[in-house]
Amino acid sequence: MKVKWSNVGFWLIVIVLSLYLIAPLYVLIKISISGGKDVFTAHPSFLVHDFTWKHWSKVLASGYLWPSLRRSLIVATATTVVAVIIAAPAAYVISRLPRGTKYVTVLALFFTRMFPEVSLALPIAVNFIKWGMMDTHVGLVLAHLIMALPFVAWVLVGTYETIPVDLEEAACVDGAGKIGTLMRVVLPLAAPGIAVAAIFTWLMSWNEFTYALYLSLSTRTLPLLTYYYSQRGGFFDAPTYATILTIPVFIVTLFLQRWMRTGYLAGAVKG
Amino acid sequence: MTVVAPTLERRRLGGSLADFIRRNWLEIVMVLPLVIYILGFTLVPTLQAIQMGFVDEETKAFPSLANYRYLLNRPQFGRAFINHITLTLTGLALEMTVGMIVALVLHREFKGRGILRATLMVPMGVPTLVSGIAMIYILSTTGYLNELLFRLNLTSVPIDWRAGGVPGTLGWVRTLLSVVLADMWKVTPMVSLILLAGLESIPQQIYEAANIDGASAWQTFWKVTFPLLRPSLTMAFVIRGIDAFRIFDLPMVLMGRVFMVITTYAYDEYQQFHNYNISAAAATILFVLIIICISIYLFVAERGKGEAR
Repeated sequence: MKVKWSNVGFWLIVIVLSLYLIAPLYVLIKISISGGKDVFTAHPSFLVHDFTWKHWSKVLASGYLWPSLRRSLIVATATTVVAVIIAAPAAYVISRLPRGTKYVTVLALFFTRMFPEVSLALPIAVNFIKWGMMDTHVGLVLAHLIMALPFVAWVLVGTYETIPVDLEEAACVDGAGKIGTLMRVVLPLAAPGIAVAAIFTWLMSWNEFTYALYLSLSTRTLPLLTYYYSQRGGFFDAPTYATILTIPVFIVTLFLQRWMRTGYLAGAVKG
Repeated sequence: MTVVAPTLERRRLGGSLADFIRRNWLEIVMVLPLVIYILGFTLVPTLQAIQMGFVDEETKAFPSLANYRYLLNRPQFGRAFINHITLTLTGLALEMTVGMIVALVLHREFKGRGILRATLMVPMGVPTLVSGIAMIYILSTTGYLNELLFRLNLTSVPIDWRAGGVPGTLGWVRTLLSVVLADMWKVTPMVSLILLAGLESIPQQIYEAANIDGASAWQTFWKVTFPLLRPSLTMAFVIRGIDAFRIFDLPMVLMGRVFMVITTYAYDEYQQFHNYNISAAAATILFVLIIICISIYLFVAERGKGEAR
């Protein structure tokens, strides 16, 4: 039988790609449950031979994890709620603008991304120091909204566009009024889109590092704590914290799988 | 969409402002918080950062170019600048190429495609910080990459992938590639998914026609797939390009001071030396760099002169 070289190449790419995609998370989880024999050597093993829970129990028992976890949860949730409350109505108005104006507005929202965080975070940090807002939950939420608001608005403009205007006209004819139409017709129809945008926003805030770094002096979010241990902690702390940081992400991503099909992305890309 | 919703009346040129407000008060109320926020927390800080950059760090005189003069004379900043540009451009080129290959792979029917596609989603959600930490352990001298190379008999001496050094040296190239490798893990999936959506929108008949005309796979790719994929490629390139320039977390975690880019340099001036104004100047240089690159891109794309990708 003749071997088809193009097929061999194809499967080689598939295998290397799969390994590359899995490797970083595998390494972190592996180190977090490995004993010293597996890792403190010039030739670390690829499989776990010296299994132990002791790094996990140490991290869970230490007093550092819970305050950070709490801060991260509060900030991510608050950011999500406020972002949806502010951006959802605004996105609706934008989606019903005349075509040209809408295009320019959506493009403007998109280009707020081009401002580098370091040039935004610096004056904000300087102001927050003046106003005594460093380390506060409110301060960090305000900073995370900088990324969250344009993103939510951007995604939701696409969602609202799929809702036929005829439905609104019908509701209007039936005497629902402007606000009634929005609450009883548009909002329920846009709910799935809002949910997806909200989940992405939550993840964004949960993962966020730069603003948290600039705006925290003593209270750390979970990413900051993980970073701290990666710089000056023991060998096993950082991988364990990194795994803890990733667990919610993993749950949410699995949950999102249904919506994260390419079709959804294509819709978002169309803007 | 040509129909304007009944909830929003088209603005008539003759109508007075008061008239406009009276007719569209609800829309204005709905959109105002977003506008105020973006002005207050994106535009104002940006302008403030630019202004801070022109305030002399020592004498607090304004306007002054002292911070920029300081940066120009600092070899660390020069290196960060070169690092930043080479990192961004190398990263973009590799991410687009690999993203394209992955999209083409996923476009084929094969056993396990669903699993691979699901695996591809994983890096998109994982924090950059986490991938950075994983890469520290993979790339260290006694790390897993060296071990893999050793077992495959490719090297006998462990390589220091995070050596850093002066731009142009071997250690520097390795460090640059390490950062690119780590960055690619996180962002290539998004490029692939955008391109895959584009591939899936190309009608199958065109390929059948190309096949009947006797086009080779190579020709089909360059003469059929590539031109039809242009919009998706542009989209992926613009999104990636903007994000690529703002890179911060990854070099910060993975390399620290060993391999600085403009963003991490700016943070260092802020955090380590409390030179707020110098940090602002460095951030402004990056901002100008981004604007220049976008302008060049828009100019090239506008001209439609072929390789605008």
